[in-house]
Amino acid sequence: MSDDGIDIEGHKTRMEVAYGAGDGDDEAKAVVASNDAELGSIFEQSYRPWDGELGPRWVRNYAIFRHHVYGLFRGTGHRHYHPMVRLTIFVILLFSLLPVLMLFLASLSSDGFMTDFFSRMWGINRHNLWGQVLGYFPRNLCCWPLLTALVVGGMISDDRKNGTSAIYFSRPVTRLDYTAMKYLSVAVVLGFIIVLSYFVYYTSAIVFNGEGWAYLVDTLPMFVSGLVAGILVVITYTSIGLALSSISRSRFFAAIAFLSVIYGTKLLALLIETQFDTSILYVLSPYDCLAHVGQWLLGIDSNYDHPIAFSIVSVLAINAACVALLTARVSSLEVTRE
Amino acid sequence: MDGEGGSTPIITARSLGKMYGPHMALEDVNLEIPPGAVGVLGPNGAGKSTLFKCLLGLITTTSGEGTVLGYDIRTEGDKIRSRIGYMPEYDALDPGLSAIDQVRYAGELVGMNPAHATRRAHEVLQYVGLKDQRYRKIETYSTGMKQAAKLACALVHDPDVLICDEPTNGLDQKAREFMLQTLRRTVSEGNRSVLMSSHVMDDVQEVCERIVMIHKGRIVVQRRIEDLARQIEREIEISVWGGASRMQQELETRGFKVRRLGRVLRVDRVDDGTTRKVLEAAVSADVQVRQMKEYEPDLEDIFLLIMERLGAEVRGTSDLMTTAHTGGDRDE
Repeated sequence: MSDDGIDIEGHKTRMEVAYGAGDGDDEAKAVVASNDAELGSIFEQSYRPWDGELGPRWVRNYAIFRHHVYGLFRGTGHRHYHPMVRLTIFVILLFSLLPVLMLFLASLSSDGFMTDFFSRMWGINRHNLWGQVLGYFPRNLCCWPLLTALVVGGMISDDRKNGTSAIYFSRPVTRLDYTAMKYLSVAVVLGFIIVLSYFVYYTSAIVFNGEGWAYLVDTLPMFVSGLVAGILVVITYTSIGLALSSISRSRFFAAIAFLSVIYGTKLLALLIETQFDTSILYVLSPYDCLAHVGQWLLGIDSNYDHPIAFSIVSVLAINAACVALLTARVSSLEVTRE
Repeated sequence: MDGEGGSTPIITARSLGKMYGPHMALEDVNLEIPPGAVGVLGPNGAGKSTLFKCLLGLITTTSGEGTVLGYDIRTEGDKIRSRIGYMPEYDALDPGLSAIDQVRYAGELVGMNPAHATRRAHEVLQYVGLKDQRYRKIETYSTGMKQAAKLACALVHDPDVLICDEPTNGLDQKAREFMLQTLRRTVSEGNRSVLMSSHVMDDVQEVCERIVMIHKGRIVVQRRIEDLARQIEREIEISVWGGASRMQQELETRGFKVRRLGRVLRVDRVDDGTTRKVLEAAVSADVQVRQMKEYEPDLEDIFLLIMERLGAEVRGTSDLMTTAHTGGDRDE
């Protein structure tokens, strides 16, 4: 740094003034850098036109889908999911793949008793296929509802709370596109965990045990039935979860309300069954209706006394009511004012 | 079809009506808006938001027809919204996103591919003055920065028409000036049209050359501000030192209608001789005239005059404002 612009009175620097060897009676002051800083222009504002082409409808819809799904995998740039939410979903995914690990261990064992035990517990059969998508605590009563609650919380309620519905509807995004893409995003995330883990479970059993075409032909109908049951779980949970998300401004409401619906109806039906020995009230419980339909699809003994038709109608009615509520609430999302 | 001034109107409406149940929100709206900056004025509940929604093709009109950029508002809403940028009045940003991601996503929602949207997001964020803050999360933004981010979202696809709903809501003086300068530049340099609603007449006057005034769902005025100002009776404003009451009395004796605020008096400018008569009155009343000038009516005067003629009880445009407009610092 040159000395230009630095005016040191009495030829003393600031250091000398503080620690110098003067007698203390002299005028001890130093003025450093007396020049004013030069003010520059911060930026030059100029409007730049853009002459690119806008993509068609599917490009806009894919943007919505990608925004909501990619957020689970990437920290920034897309919809923000709390790290704990992402971690919990990852744990649920690992948990749902636990039977794959057990099948792998069974394939390593040469002990006949162990192989038989592992095969009964985790091998491919009607009960285990049903159990992979709908049964066996805690997967049926903890993992899938918790997964749904974490994904749907804030999916629509955040738009209502933050006013971001205006971002969508002031652009050429229709309410149908908006609802369909949100629905698809949730369904794909749930499907990724529930259906994909089911698929991996089935295929890994074939690979680890070295099964052939005959086994595949034998078990494929069971697998497809379980797949249909899994898709029904995804659709029904998505419908209920999004409907609850659309009626509120709070992401916690949607999550808690979903868990309450699943657990509350099941608990109520269980109490009634215990007291009055009738399972009819299970038609109010979305989980039990799905479980009943799943048992029917996979051809295993039903846990319920009431006819299967009641559960099928109930699943359809629950989905119809939730989609109707969802569309009605999305219609009320405002652009100019919320 | 050519509008006033020979340019093709960007917005037209013929007998447009909108009813919400029994409530008439818009009634017999006839509009012809040429390119440029236009202010949409009106008290709360006058129908401004409903008009915007109709123009964006978001709600079906009950009667009449209209076009925006040549597209029918009843059937081609998606095409209209592709070429319009809308800046909402209220918060419309995801607080968990950074500004660059929010603006990029806004671009993608119009149909821009992600690479183009990202590049354009950088450009518009620089344009609205958020270049250095574009990677910050929106939840950390001040009100002014949020308004700028909303403007960037509206501009990302370079729309032909920018609709701004109360763009200076809650902004401090510096941020307000920058916002208005940006809107002016968008019109003058970008050659884009701006449709802006505001309760602050100064803001509208600074940006717009025309106004559309809505009252109880009807268009009561759509003219150039200059033309409207010319229609208002010219006044001469006189500042006196001492004896303001004597001066007022003297002027009234000479047949002037006087409006007085403290030592500032205003009289109608009848003809070129009015100034001389005022000075003669000052001599007679023995008062010093410190300043005398022709008073230029501003948009506030025009607005109040029109409201007065419509019978609306509005003393000033501040009566139309809520805490949302003033940033929450106005005592109710």
